[in-house]
Amino acid sequence: MITMRQATRRALNAALLAGAGLCVAGTAQAAEPLVKACAKDGQFVIGFSQANNAEPYRQHVNDELEAAVKEVPGFTLQIADGAGNVNTQTSQVDNFITQKVDLLLISPFEAAPLTPAVKRAMDAGIPVIELDRKTVGDPGKDYTAFIGGDNYKIALEAGKYTAKTLMPDGGEAAVLEGLPSSTPAVERLNGFKDGVKENTKIQVVAEQAADWVPDKAQTAFSAMLQAHPDIKVLYASNDMMAAGALLAAKGAGKDVKIIGTDGLPGPAGGIEAVAKGDWAATFTYPTGAKEAIEMSKKILLDCATSVDKTVTVDTTAITPENAKQMMGK
Amino acid sequence: MSGEKVSEAGGPVAAAPVHRDPLALVVRFQSLIGLVVVAIGGIIFSPRRHGQILFLDPDNIANIVRAVSETGIIAIGMTFVIITAGIDLSVGAVLGLSSVVTASMMISGGFGLIPTILAVLVMGIVFGAIQGTISTRFRLEPFIVTLAGLQAARGLALVVSGNQYINISYGEGPGLAPPVFAVLGERLFNNTVPVATIVFIVFAAIATIVLNTTRFGRYVFAVGGNERAARISGVPVSMVKISVYAITGFAAALAGIVHAGQFNFGSANDGMGYELTAIAAVVIGGTSLFGGAGSMVGTVAGTIMLGALANILQLNNITPAMQLLATAAIIVLAAVLQSLVRRREGLGR
Repeated sequence: MITMRQATRRALNAALLAGAGLCVAGTAQAAEPLVKACAKDGQFVIGFSQANNAEPYRQHVNDELEAAVKEVPGFTLQIADGAGNVNTQTSQVDNFITQKVDLLLISPFEAAPLTPAVKRAMDAGIPVIELDRKTVGDPGKDYTAFIGGDNYKIALEAGKYTAKTLMPDGGEAAVLEGLPSSTPAVERLNGFKDGVKENTKIQVVAEQAADWVPDKAQTAFSAMLQAHPDIKVLYASNDMMAAGALLAAKGAGKDVKIIGTDGLPGPAGGIEAVAKGDWAATFTYPTGAKEAIEMSKKILLDCATSVDKTVTVDTTAITPENAKQMMGK
Repeated sequence: MSGEKVSEAGGPVAAAPVHRDPLALVVRFQSLIGLVVVAIGGIIFSPRRHGQILFLDPDNIANIVRAVSETGIIAIGMTFVIITAGIDLSVGAVLGLSSVVTASMMISGGFGLIPTILAVLVMGIVFGAIQGTISTRFRLEPFIVTLAGLQAARGLALVVSGNQYINISYGEGPGLAPPVFAVLGERLFNNTVPVATIVFIVFAAIATIVLNTTRFGRYVFAVGGNERAARISGVPVSMVKISVYAITGFAAALAGIVHAGQFNFGSANDGMGYELTAIAAVVIGGTSLFGGAGSMVGTVAGTIMLGALANILQLNNITPAMQLLATAAIIVLAAVLQSLVRRREGLGR
């Protein structure tokens, strides 16, 4: 069976190549497709090496990828959970190489440690699309492409929204930061602080790290409210910490406008919290899942000779105005 | 199996009767049997390409033995500790600390390869010896002492790294590590055998010889078999106990160096949960948590078996949840078998 399929694929491929050759006849050299075995009606396996399934955001990425792959006949998705461990994730990438998957998607848990594994995949002729996090090197050369959001820009939007809509008359604001020294935590903190600078009447009176988790956020924000009872807006660097902060605000009997980040779906996620009126807003951190599968289609089905090296996916502000409508999505 | 050793070899004290109970024989070789079963299962259920069995692909085998080498090194150290009826929960954190110290010594400290490696290994030994000393001197449960050691090592790692991760870049001059260090992430012999695996196997061979042929090895079994009797017979119990924790410290530091070399990286978060994987491998390998009985070859087989199991499940695209459940079932099975044998031999518990 496999040989048959491969033979068909090869034949098709040869035909396509010949066609392509005719089209570009006269140019110095015909650009080769990124994947030689690409074909319109082929069967393709996409391996996704996820950094850590235990994080709700990453589970959301998996769900969106699975949904996007279902739309494409001939695509099969295999997800391996790196469990927050670079050794495990490396061995899973190696397994995908052994299996000769047709395309590798990866969200590396850490950049440098996964770089050699990504190189091995590229060397084996497997195109690599990096999702949300990058390894070391340049897209287009060390890996095929990067698709992800821009943490700084998302937090900047949240800061501007605070400056214009939530606190036009100014006042005290506070920030709950993610795991200190991790890249997204730093970028989101700086983005928000730069965003609120638009309104000089706003003071950021407190910043605390709560390591992305709700229980630490609750403790930290309770303490903040003790020290600064007039805090009007809290920016939480992810939805989980926003949920913890809400508990702290309720416990203190304060009406604080809370902003989350990620915009996760489902009953525990930010979109529903905004729809219910618990939070003032949340800003989605797009998964890039749809874009990744679109790009996979270009590479595997359309025999693309090149793709966009970097795709930045924009954030959507979830506010009371659009939250209900976004819930179904 | 020449490498096998159980309690009857415990010299002057361990007086477990020698039974030729078939069940005991199964337990004695349980991890090897398990490894064979997993390997056969792997061959049967392996995806094939052009009729070739992917599970047996040399690249795949190399991947399996590379992936388990760090936890394997730790499990070997852990075997000594568990045979003395102790436990060491600090090993994963010591791996993290060692990777951070290795990276920062070479990158920001400007130290050479040999001084760095020696310093990190000595640090591991000292860290372990301190835990062993506190445990014996104050008669504290090793569980508590090494739990504190885990926190201490992670805390130290954060201090050393300044809350940052340290990338290792190679070359000559300040801020760069000697290029030869990167060999830990490579494969030798025509690109077939991962260097990390060679470190694991060499360490396993030395540990097997130490445990099975030296006086120290007999002392380790004696202390775990019956501590009081060992003391009366003149075994330096405290020294033996301190030594086994120094060995796990050394093993964790060695694994940390291998980790830093494989991944060009030092982070305080590295090695999270490795202690539990190592303990699982040791228990599956037939070493009793009650002490006095155990096998180094069993530990190696248990380690590779866990790696092969994870590999075959992923090759078949079986969910990580099933992988955890399968590992759980194997640990319970291994423990139940051991308990049955103990009961038959009238050892109770």
